[in-house]
Amino acid sequence: MPSSRRDTIDHIMNSVPNLNFLIKIKGFKIFMIFLTLEHILTHISFSMVSIVITIHLITLFFDEIVKLYDSSEKGMITTFFCITGLLVTRWIYSEHFPLSNLYESLIFLSWSFSIIHIVPYFKKKKNHLSTITAPSAIFTQGFATSGILTEIHQSAILVPALQSEWLIMHVSMMILGYAALLCGSLLSVALLIITFRKNRKILCKSNRFLNELFTFGKIQYMNERNDVLQNTSFFSDKNYYRSQLIQQLGYWSYRVISLGFIFLTIGILSGAVWANEAWGSYWNWDPKETWAFVTWIVFAIYLHTRTNKNLQDTNSAIVASIGFLIIWICYFGVNLLGIGLHSYGSFMLTSN
Amino acid sequence: METLALNVTMRTQKLLKPRTHLLKSPLFPQNSHVYRTLYCQTGLSFTISCKLRISKDKSNTMAEKVSVAPSLSDEGGNTLGSGGVPSKPRRSTGGGFETLKKLPRRVLAILSNLPLAISEMFAIAGLMALGTVIEQGEAPDFYFQKYSEDNPALGFFTWRWVLTLGFDHMFSSPIFLGTVVLLGASLMACTYTRQIPIAKVARRWSFLHSAEAIRKQEFTDTLPRASIQDLGVILMGAGYEVYLKGPSLYAFRGMAGRFAPIGVHLALLLIMAGGTLSATGSFRGSVTVPQGLNFVVGDVLGPSGFLSTPTEAFDTEVHINRFYMDYYDSGEVSQFHTDLSLFDLNGKEVMRKTISVNDPLRFGGITIYQTDWSFSALQVLKDGEGPFNLAMAPLKLNGDKKLFGTFLPVGDPDSPNIKGISMLARDLQSIVLYDQEGKFAGVRRPNSELPIDIDGIKVVIVDAIGSSGLDLKTDPGVPIVYAGFGALMLTTCISFLSYAQIWALQDGTTVVIGGKTNRAKVEFPEDMNRLLDRVPEIVSSSQSMPSDNISG
Repeated sequence: MPSSRRDTIDHIMNSVPNLNFLIKIKGFKIFMIFLTLEHILTHISFSMVSIVITIHLITLFFDEIVKLYDSSEKGMITTFFCITGLLVTRWIYSEHFPLSNLYESLIFLSWSFSIIHIVPYFKKKKNHLSTITAPSAIFTQGFATSGILTEIHQSAILVPALQSEWLIMHVSMMILGYAALLCGSLLSVALLIITFRKNRKILCKSNRFLNELFTFGKIQYMNERNDVLQNTSFFSDKNYYRSQLIQQLGYWSYRVISLGFIFLTIGILSGAVWANEAWGSYWNWDPKETWAFVTWIVFAIYLHTRTNKNLQDTNSAIVASIGFLIIWICYFGVNLLGIGLHSYGSFMLTSN
Repeated sequence: METLALNVTMRTQKLLKPRTHLLKSPLFPQNSHVYRTLYCQTGLSFTISCKLRISKDKSNTMAEKVSVAPSLSDEGGNTLGSGGVPSKPRRSTGGGFETLKKLPRRVLAILSNLPLAISEMFAIAGLMALGTVIEQGEAPDFYFQKYSEDNPALGFFTWRWVLTLGFDHMFSSPIFLGTVVLLGASLMACTYTRQIPIAKVARRWSFLHSAEAIRKQEFTDTLPRASIQDLGVILMGAGYEVYLKGPSLYAFRGMAGRFAPIGVHLALLLIMAGGTLSATGSFRGSVTVPQGLNFVVGDVLGPSGFLSTPTEAFDTEVHINRFYMDYYDSGEVSQFHTDLSLFDLNGKEVMRKTISVNDPLRFGGITIYQTDWSFSALQVLKDGEGPFNLAMAPLKLNGDKKLFGTFLPVGDPDSPNIKGISMLARDLQSIVLYDQEGKFAGVRRPNSELPIDIDGIKVVIVDAIGSSGLDLKTDPGVPIVYAGFGALMLTTCISFLSYAQIWALQDGTTVVIGGKTNRAKVEFPEDMNRLLDRVPEIVSSSQSMPSDNISG
């Protein structure tokens, strides 16, 4: 009998007055477990990426050690799974896709970097991307876990406008796009540095060790050059390999940017469709939108410069480097100002 | 399609003899004569067959002869059923008409110039960036102060620049719109003068008949002792469309990647067209309606451009049945809901829906969005009298959280310093009450029926009446823009595909292979090498092979 069962339940509820409270406690415990799990995963992934970076540096300063290289790849895979676990944990306990604030989007960005790193590894293709993606992953991961953003580590509640299926599509596509475009444009920056240095070397041939004076930031690119140079010890071949490297860099930068451009296009357009559902207009000239469009246009320019043989390589690399800055303005700058409709999870809002 | 011709079978029985590689025999040099004569006499009638194998052991003389037969190429092309129409040279009609005709062509040439298009894109990007830096849509006084002539930004940028160039409303300023229109013209010109001809060329598949031409390609390789037919089969297995004619092979893959950039440009034009229609032919309006009241759609909507024409649906009357909010456990608002009923002119309900943020109502081309809310009134009982409706006023405080307040006068309403009970609310959930001195008295929820005693006055908060902030719009451009969005996403993805072309020529026992691709230039040689590794090598030691193996 349903009524008698309800009576029983009522009876139990009455006889245990603190049941509700207990349930809350239990929920809190689960929450704590999730939180601890998240902490562990964050730390593992962060220390993993640091180890990978150290290995990269070691292989740079000493000869290439195959075992070390292998272990660095394994480290990146571990990192990837840790960040994936982190995102899944957050998803489960916050009950929405973990992309509602800047911290989560940074974590997702470093996840994107690591997936860009991993895909070529599983395809057994060795390319220059890994030297870009690993440091990018550590910087984003480090920035996300560093003290600046500790206040917004808590996964926030979703404001009404964000409660939509479009959230997953729009934000994940945008951030994947940012990650790919950042990688591609960093490759272009590397290309520019190498080209620039080559010219400089012709100017002052006597000073061969000028290269070695370049600072930490360029060390990764030196590493790439070492990769290419490992087969040869002839300095006379250096220029040949260098031009080869420049071509390779240009090519990979082009492919990765094309991929990122697809993600960015899908991201912007799905955002427009979402905006038409939520705000009543598919385009509002909101600062974030506008900057995403600026990014899109700059990389469209890049793709067009690649089609023209006269403008290839150096010119297109300059455009991509401009794009690199613009992505950061779009991703962070607009949020820093905390203006417009996209101000969720900005620094200002959380400090208020 | 019969274009999948891989193996050549002549209509003569004689040539069907050497079926396999193993059968390659000293017989063949004799056959080759027959082959050649047939080749020249009957033209080519190829049929598709993957089972039949022709011998690769053609003599060098054979190859020479074959390469002399380009006169057959047109016929062969037609047989294979893929229209290889050469481009017709444009004929001038001559006279003064010519100069008139030349003008648009010159304009086209200028517009389709890539550096111009790139600078247009840079200009648009720059203007947009400027549009986010300069505050938009403020009163002129604001710009007078912010960009005063005493202290110009960058040494020259003053309010005169902002206002004369229309940078205070950047995204509708003539400069910005003009640049966009120019870019649209460039898009069209580029599609017309460059992309379509390139695509036409791509559709025309062409054989290369000399080994030198093939060796000039970006990727070249030579396979000794290989068969062009085997290569064809392997290429087909790798997703290539393969055309074979005599000793020549032509294969391509990813033609869609060649056409997709046209699609991207067309999709962008479609979006621009849709955007223009949206800007000129839509109506919009917003309204804040207290729960329980009505409004007529047409009263709210205002036209945005000269193409805006009202429809019958504008006579619809909207009734707000209920406005309510959902809350998280922490007390923050999780969602807004408005229960709406639409009535036509006769008072008949035509639609009813509860809308919320991200879930608008669509009726007859009109879309009603939940965008805002407000606190309309508070129903209170004072000492059991009433209920009184107290209008709530929005209070501006710093921060963007809403705060509403009202005042219940106590005592003589005509006295100069009137006192009363203040009530404040952030949402419809709880009301904070303050006594006559301004001290905190308590918090009550509406509908709780729990009275609060403030200085001997019993106040019961009966209900909190919210008003729903609705945005209404009609936008005829949306279907076009959405079509453009879909096309743009699709064509951008397809554009990532690489268009690869491969030519091969059987040169005696060796096969010369050349290929090129437009995008995946590094993967292409790797893929090609992998494919070419799979081409079987022909063990053609005619001496060691017992010749009596040959059978009918």
